[in-house]
Amino acid sequence: MATAQPLYVLPGDTIDPSLIPTHKKLPLRLGPGLRHIPPSAIVPTVAGQLVADHKKNSMWVEYNGGRYIPAPNDLVIGQIQRSAADFYFMNLTPFTSNATLPQLAFEGATKKNRPQLASGALVYARVVLANRHMDPELECVSSSTGKAEGLGPLTGGMAFDVSLGLARRLLMARSREEGKVEILELLGAEGLAFETAVGRNGKVWVGSDSAKTIILVGRALRETDDGKLDVDQQKKLAKRLIREMK
Amino acid sequence: MASSSSIALPGQLLGPASKFQPGPGTHIHQSNLYSSLLGVVHISQPAKAPGPTKRLTKITPAPAPAELPTVSVSRSGVSEKREVLPEVGNTVLCRVIRITPRQAVVAILICGDTVLHAEWQGLIRVQDVRATEKDKVKIYESFRPGDIVRAEVISLGDQANFYLSTARNELGVLLATSEAGNNMFPVNWKEYQDPETGVSEPRKVARPY
Repeated sequence: MATAQPLYVLPGDTIDPSLIPTHKKLPLRLGPGLRHIPPSAIVPTVAGQLVADHKKNSMWVEYNGGRYIPAPNDLVIGQIQRSAADFYFMNLTPFTSNATLPQLAFEGATKKNRPQLASGALVYARVVLANRHMDPELECVSSSTGKAEGLGPLTGGMAFDVSLGLARRLLMARSREEGKVEILELLGAEGLAFETAVGRNGKVWVGSDSAKTIILVGRALRETDDGKLDVDQQKKLAKRLIREMK
Repeated sequence: MASSSSIALPGQLLGPASKFQPGPGTHIHQSNLYSSLLGVVHISQPAKAPGPTKRLTKITPAPAPAELPTVSVSRSGVSEKREVLPEVGNTVLCRVIRITPRQAVVAILICGDTVLHAEWQGLIRVQDVRATEKDKVKIYESFRPGDIVRAEVISLGDQANFYLSTARNELGVLLATSEAGNNMFPVNWKEYQDPETGVSEPRKVARPY
């Protein structure tokens, strides 16, 4: 938790050794945005806020980049470009190569019983394999339990583009305290009925029975993102949008 | 017959297949030998001269193939220097260019002991990486782009690729570079280690002789 002023770093800055957390038992873990140059230098590689977690003995850089780089275990929303034998080719981000999603990586799929998905359909999937040398691979079923756990095709609704930073904050476990984003909970508390799926690649899918609700939630997300609203401003935004709808 | 030094064009008739043995740079079409290249024609003497006929009434078979002179066409004009091509069973050294989940695309650099003039492309399919547990092989844990690999040619393949295999202990990755950019040393049959950072990376390691 940042008790002092948040520290913003640029790529290549030297980090004061006093900021590096120490722990009796756990080794120091570096998250995204930091690089270890042996023997003892830790250098940021992106511009952002340096965050340290003393309990888990880890540190990383929070940044709002423009390009999504797939990492294993990320939840993403992809669109099917085409289907070949045994694979769907998914588009995660524009102008990048397609990610592959095996047709058998769905819950209850066998060779005789494959999912029938048309190209253009949205799918909520998890990244299995992602590295610099190969195209990313996805799955829609948890490999250990065999259950979908919320993954799979997203029917109806609409997908909105958000910035990567907002997508990350929406996916945080405690989005209200740490991510400072509460807009979806506020709109739900005001009585709107909708469901959402957030993809780490900067996409949020909103599904609801009423098209007005979908558009309203999409607008709320867009205004939160563009205006960089904090929690109080988000409360005012939610009330204003509900009032306009009525 | 002395070795003639005439020029042959591609498709030029060199002689009947009953009188000559086809060598490099020629092909047979309808029992005639034609040149495949633009180059100088060389006729080499057979290994042993055909023996004299002993009796007029003895039926002797047509001269065996080893006794026929070999005709070949070569570009550079010297009959010994010809393009070395990888054959099935040769051990080759190659560099990994690209990896996909089902195969690794490599460029064949050295065949046996000769450095090749042209770079031939080879494929190492995922089922040819190892001899055991073929269905559990992950290409990303066996090869990375930039590795130097010792492999064996198993098939001449199609127009674009040779097919290679690393399914023996002596075959596999010889030289690997880590993500940090340092040369790595093998630790066991499936790991290379960077001496500077201490990080291990998985590869299909070739057993050193």
